[in-house]
Amino acid sequence: MSHYEAPVRKPLVTGDKVYKDVTEDIVRPIEGRANKTWWIVFSIALVAFLWGLGCIIYTVSTGIGTWGLNNTIEWAWDITNFVWWVGIGHAGTLISAVLLLFRQRWRMAINRSAEAMTIFAVVQAGLFPIIHMGRPWLAYWVLPIPNQFGSLWVNFNSPLLWDVFAISTYLSVSLVFWYTGLLPDFAMIRDRAKKPFQKHIYSILSFGWSGKMKDWQRFEEVSLVLAGLATPLVLSVHTIVSFDFATSVVPGWHSTIFPPYFVAGAIFSGFAMVQTLLIIMRKVSNLENYITVNHIELMNKVILVTGGIVGVAYITEFFIAWYTGSPYENYTYLSFGAATGPYWWAFWALILCNMLVPLTLWVKKYRRNIIWTFIVSIIINIGMWFERFDIIVLDLSKGRTPSSWAMFSPTFVDVGIFVGTLGFFFVLFLLYARSFPVIAQAEVKSILKLSGDKYKKMREEYGDDVQMYNLPEQRPLPDFKGMVEELEQKNEEVRDEKGELIESLLLKIGDASNDNADDLKRLSGVGPALEKKLNQIGVYKYQQISKMSDKEFTILNRLIDAFPKSKSRFWSGEANILNQI
Amino acid sequence: MSGYTLQALYADDDHLMKAVRETRDQDHHISEVYTPFPVHGLDKAAGLKETRMAITAFLYGLVGFGVAVWMMNFMMIEDWPRNIGGKPSFTFFQNMPAFVPIMFELTVFFAAHLMVITFYMRSKIWPFKQAENPDPRTTDDHFVMEVETDKENIQDVAEFLHSTGAKEVDLKR
Amino acid sequence: MILIVLGLIGVSAGFLSTPNNVKEVKQQMEASHGGHSDGHSSAQQNDGATSKDEHQVGEHHADEKSHAEHAYTFLKNKPWSALFVSLLFFLFISLGAFVFYVIQHVSQAGWSPVLFRVMEAISKYIVPGGVLVYVFLVLSSLHLNHLFVWMDPEIVANDEVIQEKSGYLNIPFFLIRAAIYIGGWILFQRLITRNENKQDDGYDQSLYKKNITYSVLFLAFFAITESMASWDWIMSIDTHWFSTLMGWFVFASMFVSGITTIALITVHLKSIGYLQFVNNSHIHDLAKFMFGISIFWTYLWFAQFMLIWYANMPEEAVYYVTRMEDYQLLFLGSVALNFVFPLLILMNSDFKRVNWIVTFAGIIILVGHYINFYLMIMPGTVAGQWSISFAEIGALLLVGGIFLYITFNALSKKALEPVNNPLIKESKQYHY
Repeated sequence: MSHYEAPVRKPLVTGDKVYKDVTEDIVRPIEGRANKTWWIVFSIALVAFLWGLGCIIYTVSTGIGTWGLNNTIEWAWDITNFVWWVGIGHAGTLISAVLLLFRQRWRMAINRSAEAMTIFAVVQAGLFPIIHMGRPWLAYWVLPIPNQFGSLWVNFNSPLLWDVFAISTYLSVSLVFWYTGLLPDFAMIRDRAKKPFQKHIYSILSFGWSGKMKDWQRFEEVSLVLAGLATPLVLSVHTIVSFDFATSVVPGWHSTIFPPYFVAGAIFSGFAMVQTLLIIMRKVSNLENYITVNHIELMNKVILVTGGIVGVAYITEFFIAWYTGSPYENYTYLSFGAATGPYWWAFWALILCNMLVPLTLWVKKYRRNIIWTFIVSIIINIGMWFERFDIIVLDLSKGRTPSSWAMFSPTFVDVGIFVGTLGFFFVLFLLYARSFPVIAQAEVKSILKLSGDKYKKMREEYGDDVQMYNLPEQRPLPDFKGMVEELEQKNEEVRDEKGELIESLLLKIGDASNDNADDLKRLSGVGPALEKKLNQIGVYKYQQISKMSDKEFTILNRLIDAFPKSKSRFWSGEANILNQI
Repeated sequence: MSGYTLQALYADDDHLMKAVRETRDQDHHISEVYTPFPVHGLDKAAGLKETRMAITAFLYGLVGFGVAVWMMNFMMIEDWPRNIGGKPSFTFFQNMPAFVPIMFELTVFFAAHLMVITFYMRSKIWPFKQAENPDPRTTDDHFVMEVETDKENIQDVAEFLHSTGAKEVDLKR
Repeated sequence: MILIVLGLIGVSAGFLSTPNNVKEVKQQMEASHGGHSDGHSSAQQNDGATSKDEHQVGEHHADEKSHAEHAYTFLKNKPWSALFVSLLFFLFISLGAFVFYVIQHVSQAGWSPVLFRVMEAISKYIVPGGVLVYVFLVLSSLHLNHLFVWMDPEIVANDEVIQEKSGYLNIPFFLIRAAIYIGGWILFQRLITRNENKQDDGYDQSLYKKNITYSVLFLAFFAITESMASWDWIMSIDTHWFSTLMGWFVFASMFVSGITTIALITVHLKSIGYLQFVNNSHIHDLAKFMFGISIFWTYLWFAQFMLIWYANMPEEAVYYVTRMEDYQLLFLGSVALNFVFPLLILMNSDFKRVNWIVTFAGIIILVGHYINFYLMIMPGTVAGQWSISFAEIGALLLVGGIFLYITFNALSKKALEPVNNPLIKESKQYHY
């Protein structure tokens, strides 16, 4: 068996890393201390979060009237944010699931953080519908519960209810997928930790993962099946979000292309957000050797592909809107009417940010330019926000009844809640970056010999079947036979000692046998296991136990593991009574 | 007579694989291997049976699908039939397109979660579980193979393990 | 040696199916033409009952025409439509296979280079297939048939909706567009496969890189032209109806058919002793794509159907009303063949490695997608007058024969292993 990879492929891990280096590099941000920049950014995010929290409290205590919604545009800012955040939450599972199915090795450097981002983004998304309920404490009414608990049975024909199922499934499955992948990495930190508190925490988090071969086998199969399940799940989530609009008869919303187009747009924006975060993180946490320029270029290519799909969808929407011949379609978000109407700026922001600026990524030089990529990723995120804003607000603003055409303007509460979710998102992500292994080290190690530059160079130099390890310096063998004998002797001594104890015990309480043994389980704290152990010693009858005193219980305590010493002091009394009945 | 277990420590996955193959060729019984990452092909080399996790997922998925069908049929069709948006939902099949999304979601929900729970149970991992790897280095960059033997052969087996290039050989206590 | 033997087998396989079919088909075509002209009077009487449905789909504003005349038009359309379905189906198979091939280039996939020759051979049919479709479209625009109602000036004159669309749907523009799509596809197909084949003499990095660039350009070109071709050639048959998803829905169908054809031909070649370097992991991966894209097709099918069903707007819903009332068996059958069977057969990882199971699933998928195309075209042209008769089967055999002849002929001319592909070693030792 050899680790072969075609030489034309660029290395995915640079800097001549070996297994040990991977561990060290990934653990460093967790074991080290936070620097000043981290604290500054964290404080800003926290303030934004608290501001948003204030706005949410204001909304809930006063009412949805604090928002900028009106009769015509009854959905606007909040749903825009909801769709935007859910969209961002698509890249993580795409990277870990779809790229796993396609066996793209470059995913391993970025999947952990992308999944974390997914989970945090979906949490933000989930806030908006709950706040929009106005009475969030009745949010449980969305669950399929019988009538006497509140509402009628939920309406399974409503896309909004599909959303409840889709998003909760997505969030929980992503969480489990992410967490299962984290177990070996937590175990790694646990086994390195010096401080007892840290060791204890990571010991709990790692679920006692030991890296046994059967566990790894199951782990890999579970990951593969989860990927297989998560792939259609990712598609379904944004599909169902698109159904919120497309099942209606509102011009511009009712479009059959919406499901795949929304999914492509979600991946597009999700990858942009991954770029934004990882470009910062690779710098701050010194992970340039793992998240290489090559990775950034590959992600840019995904952005190009999904952006291209979105572009084709825009063209399709524009064309079919005309092709239908319906006059209402001239005011939809992608139409001549939108480009020249009162929302022209939103229309052109969409075209500029989503179609034109990403075109620069066609040029290899810009694709590999980290700063430009960072700027483009932020622009795409803005553009994708406008896409949702356009779809929702523009299409509603000019519906089928011209007399009710209206405009929308957000209030400070609208803006505040949005800023608050941004703050919350970054708070979570910053905490994550300090306490979690941000790169799936076990997975990176498993491809190191394939795609690490140290090993690629080795193959280039010595041929494809080169032996990729040095024989270690061996510790001389101890005398195992002697060790075993010593061990057995010690065991025997223990056994002898125990025998003496038992003898002295039975001398005091008298012998008994299995025939018509009493039910010792009736004594307090005695279960079948303890009863068996007592029987092994030779204790069968209540009569024996009634004769026991503290001294005997101390002996039992030495003989039996986990002996319930505190309860045993009732035994002699209990046994006395039981013996009389 | 009682069995003893020797632990051979290696510093490389290829080296470990070679040792595993040699050990199997010598008919020694490998009771466990601890590795820091999934070593490709180790399960086959060590003679493990294939895992059946995927099958459990399929079965759980069927359960989820069944639950979804039963639930929506009961709530929307039997218990409280409603006419929504001019679409009478009085039979299951007439209304089925609207049920498909939730059927799908519940299938995935059941398959994914129950499979993972099965995995945790079968592999005995949960919070507060104590780790069982013999050496802290096995979650970092070292690999331990455990071989079972008895008192008579222990020295021979140890020497054999030494000859495979093991960095350290220890007795499991 | 291998080349010669393969050539013999390939050519004989091609020839064995083609000449028979050509003859057969010609007879059948004549027979069916004759049969229709003889039989249309009897059809007139039988069809009074069903013509209400046809009425919705075919020609809305030709009320003055009698129902019988409708039935006659539809029946006259039938052999033409049958031919058109087959022509499109096989063109799209080879186009789908070519797209798959090109994606392998762009993504630098490591597993697939061993299959490149098969994909190239299938994609070769784009040239004759494209020409045939073009000829067919020219014949349609000469009013030799009545597939595209918007081509009929009489109908357009009475139809406001079509008049609004005539900026796009007019004959000259239609033919120019078709020439651009087909010409572009042929151009890229020639260019990319030629560059790839040149490397049999020696690896040339500049050619390799150039091919990646061409592949990207092709995909960009294809993304737009494929959508437009579906609007032009398929959606415009139901002239009033529209669906933004149409282009991608057609794409899913052509993609899965193309991949399935690759798998079927690979398994066939393996079974007669070629392509020994293709192992069951390669077959597994092809089957995985068959499985995945089948589900993707279903996803799009459901999205389109459900949204139209849910909103229930008359101008859209009429499309499915026809299909559910007149074509119920095929309509539900296509979902069963394209979704339920692939889902159940190909879900198991071990089954994807077994040649006969993959073949079985592949045949089901191809039949299912033929029906899918049939369902997209027939209701708009023949309404309730459909049947699977000599015309349909003959057309399928004729075009299929040409397709197989071209493919196997191409296979026979080249070594089956692209020895100098930089990823070939990775591909050959690919094991999963």
